[in-house]
Amino acid sequence: MAKKIQFILNGNTVEVMVGETELLVDVLRDKFRLTGTKKACGTGDCGACTVLLNKEAVRSCIILAPMVDGKEVLTIEGLGDEKNVHPIQQAFVDAGAVQCGYCTPAMILTAKAVLDINHDPSDEEIKTALSGNLCRCTGYSKIFQAVKNAAKAMNLKR
Amino acid sequence: MKSGYQIVGKRVNRVDALAKALGKAKFTSDFKRQDMLIGKALFAKFPHAIIKGVDTAKAEQLEGVQAVLTAKDLPGRNGYGILVPDKPVIAEKKTKYEGDAVALVAAVSEEIAKKALGLIEVEYEVLPAYDDPRQAMKDDAIHIHEAHPAADKGNILTTVALDSGDVEKAFREADIIIENSYETPMVDHAYMETDVCMAEPDPLTGGLTLCSPQQAVYATKRCLAPVFGIPQNKIRTFCPIVGGGFGGKEDSVLDVSAMAGVLALKTKRPVYFELDREEVFRTTGKRHATYIKHRMAATKDGKITAVDVETILDKGAYTSMGGLNNPLMAVTQRTAMYAGGTYFIPNARARSHSVFTNHPYSCAFRGFGAPQAMFAVECQIDELAKALNMDPIELRLKNILRHGDRTIFGQVMKENRGLGLEECITKVKGRMDWDKSLDQGNGPVKKGKGIAVFMYGTGIPLLFEGASCYVNLELDGSVSVAVAATEMGQGIVTALTQTAAEALGVRYEDVNVTYSDTATAPDCGPTVGSRAAVVVGNAVLDGCNKLRERMLSVASKEFKKDPRDMDIKQGEVFIVGKPETTMPLAAIVSKAFITQVPLAAVGTWYPPQPSFRAEDGQGEPMHAYTFGVQAVEVEVDTETGELSVTRSVLACDVGKAINPSLVEGQMEGGAAMGIGWAILEEGFMNKGVMENASFHNFLIPTIKDLPELESIIVEHPNDLGPYGAKGIGEPPLIATAPAIRNAVCNALGISINTIPLTAVRILAAVKNQQAVGGGN
Repeated sequence: MAKKIQFILNGNTVEVMVGETELLVDVLRDKFRLTGTKKACGTGDCGACTVLLNKEAVRSCIILAPMVDGKEVLTIEGLGDEKNVHPIQQAFVDAGAVQCGYCTPAMILTAKAVLDINHDPSDEEIKTALSGNLCRCTGYSKIFQAVKNAAKAMNLKR
Repeated sequence: MKSGYQIVGKRVNRVDALAKALGKAKFTSDFKRQDMLIGKALFAKFPHAIIKGVDTAKAEQLEGVQAVLTAKDLPGRNGYGILVPDKPVIAEKKTKYEGDAVALVAAVSEEIAKKALGLIEVEYEVLPAYDDPRQAMKDDAIHIHEAHPAADKGNILTTVALDSGDVEKAFREADIIIENSYETPMVDHAYMETDVCMAEPDPLTGGLTLCSPQQAVYATKRCLAPVFGIPQNKIRTFCPIVGGGFGGKEDSVLDVSAMAGVLALKTKRPVYFELDREEVFRTTGKRHATYIKHRMAATKDGKITAVDVETILDKGAYTSMGGLNNPLMAVTQRTAMYAGGTYFIPNARARSHSVFTNHPYSCAFRGFGAPQAMFAVECQIDELAKALNMDPIELRLKNILRHGDRTIFGQVMKENRGLGLEECITKVKGRMDWDKSLDQGNGPVKKGKGIAVFMYGTGIPLLFEGASCYVNLELDGSVSVAVAATEMGQGIVTALTQTAAEALGVRYEDVNVTYSDTATAPDCGPTVGSRAAVVVGNAVLDGCNKLRERMLSVASKEFKKDPRDMDIKQGEVFIVGKPETTMPLAAIVSKAFITQVPLAAVGTWYPPQPSFRAEDGQGEPMHAYTFGVQAVEVEVDTETGELSVTRSVLACDVGKAINPSLVEGQMEGGAAMGIGWAILEEGFMNKGVMENASFHNFLIPTIKDLPELESIIVEHPNDLGPYGAKGIGEPPLIATAPAIRNAVCNALGISINTIPLTAVRILAAVKNQQAVGGGN
């Protein structure tokens, strides 16, 4: 049965008809054309579909769309754009943390979730936060450095 | 060698980094349209079986189904492959692995397509499935291919031979012989972007357009034209940026494109065909598993005198890039070629057998056979060092290839092509504090350090080598470069942008490189073999140099100066020594435009013609070799078997780093992938069925499995490379696994010769040692 849900998507209130078993990732990609959210495993293992649900990092490939009714969803498209690049996005660019880019949006959103609540994370805390996001290209070294740099840049802005 | 570059060698940000970080960079699946049919395959229920019958009647009647295809419904040849067309689009008489499609469906939605698959009835007669090539190569084994177009004998696809010197004599006269067996696993590339193809018939030409993430747009259309029954010039193959390839997307693209293409031709509609992650694991190519017997002869003072190596490769069900007798230069051959490692060894014999099994086809995977071969030889060197009570680095330095030395495959090493191995070893030794012993403490956790070295040739000679590209000057002074190479994360577009900007003397921002589209660029060969920055880079350099000469000739008339006295930098043309006399390049280009000077050039480059003899594996195949050294420190818990890699230092001689940041990216990513191969990754196959076809149990490294990955770039220029560059895509992972294995042996005092070094495997070895009371 289709059902109408309402939620805040990247700062705007939206309404959409969804099936009971429809996945959040498919709704974001197919109905809202927000393709920055990637579907790479479909089983919640790789983290590439990460979005922020009420500011918490979740895997949108194992979240049913009706579950976001009344909640707040942030995708990579809502984080920044060319005129207003988020410090984490800029840090990824500057540190050479982007290679193929398939895991990048999710990696950035996961970093945002931790940096918003922990302004001075330890190395271990950063690694724990990112440990659910797979990257096959970088070996994570430059991603780790980017998140550390981003934490500093965000603190300067606070 | 010219120095003082404007852009080459600089850590400029990637051209695509911001769009990717913003989530706006589009991959193939992001272009999916609502009007596309959804294609799906019914894959084999049994990996090895005779197909007795396929009944599609119920599926065809389902509303929303637009086509159901079996082998009898295909428009052209039911076979394709990069080297030999032995893989069917749809299996007809037999299934040979669980990735064989037995029927295809196109429907108006994914839900209906999946439902239709469930309605197809297939009758099988199940045959015993082969997991082990050593069983499959026996005389009484069932032939997996009843009649293979190229196989040597039974399930043996090919046996590659390499011979030099007098091996029997060397072993007779040896002071010491080291003999061991090694095994390496079949693993998945695990690129993050799954395989997908959008196929669309072109009613204007009667042709077909195929958009699919891949590494070789020209090879794809050449391989698939007979499948579609369409000439190559009416097939357009292209892709946007690719989410990782690592060699796998040279082959998997053929699978999804063949299936999407035949459905599109049948329905005359655009078709979207995507594999889910489980299907990627079960159906696409893998790294060849190997079983290696390695004998090494040496003198008592540590000079290696001979190697004798037999390698059996798990070919899986189809040839792919495994290799044939002709063309020879593929994975099977590389395992023989690199069986002597980076050492001067006057006598060598290697036999590599590629054997069909009922596993996913083994294909190209970062390193192309070299990681397997180097694993064995680098373990052997450490065993020799142990036997001679010699330091492993000292032993390696005694034997490494130097200027004028001949490899076991007959190539003479030349300093002018870059021979930086010794510098790599010295630098890693210093960084690691190699001679300082580790504090072992008294607990169950033992520490160890290990090292391994490698060499790897740039390019794919004797398969295809050479590149063409287009370079075009625009009237505003900007530059368009079109290459058919793929941007899959390695940063080739950025590296070529830097190469073109340097050559033409324009700003980095003023160059735009388009890529991976047969409609816009000529063939530059596949983006494989660590070749693109070098081989395609040289083609771009050639095109830019042609245009530069033309523009300087135009400028010389304006300035009334000899073109040789003029230069272009930062988009300004000037007289050398008189920087005040500048004119914008745009003005010169406009002048050229109205004075009948062409603004477009085709850049080309071919390496020196390679030589190679199939009968004894001797020749000079590659024009240059990348060298490197990996050292690690590990901690092994002798109570749980848990292994941690706590330090990783990798040095690579890359000739010249066009962009050090990109080179480090390859080195760090390679080391990480090497660590995964060494300690985590393994496809568990049970009678042809993959038992861990998900990221839940096929484990690749997370950020928590890796130490900080330290990289040291060494630059011994290759005089034929663009600005001195050599290939760096594949090499960084080659020495990682043996370095880790050697470190584990160093920690435990026992030898484990099978990877991955999982806790189960380590614990078993520790228990075994305790049981026999051996070890030290």
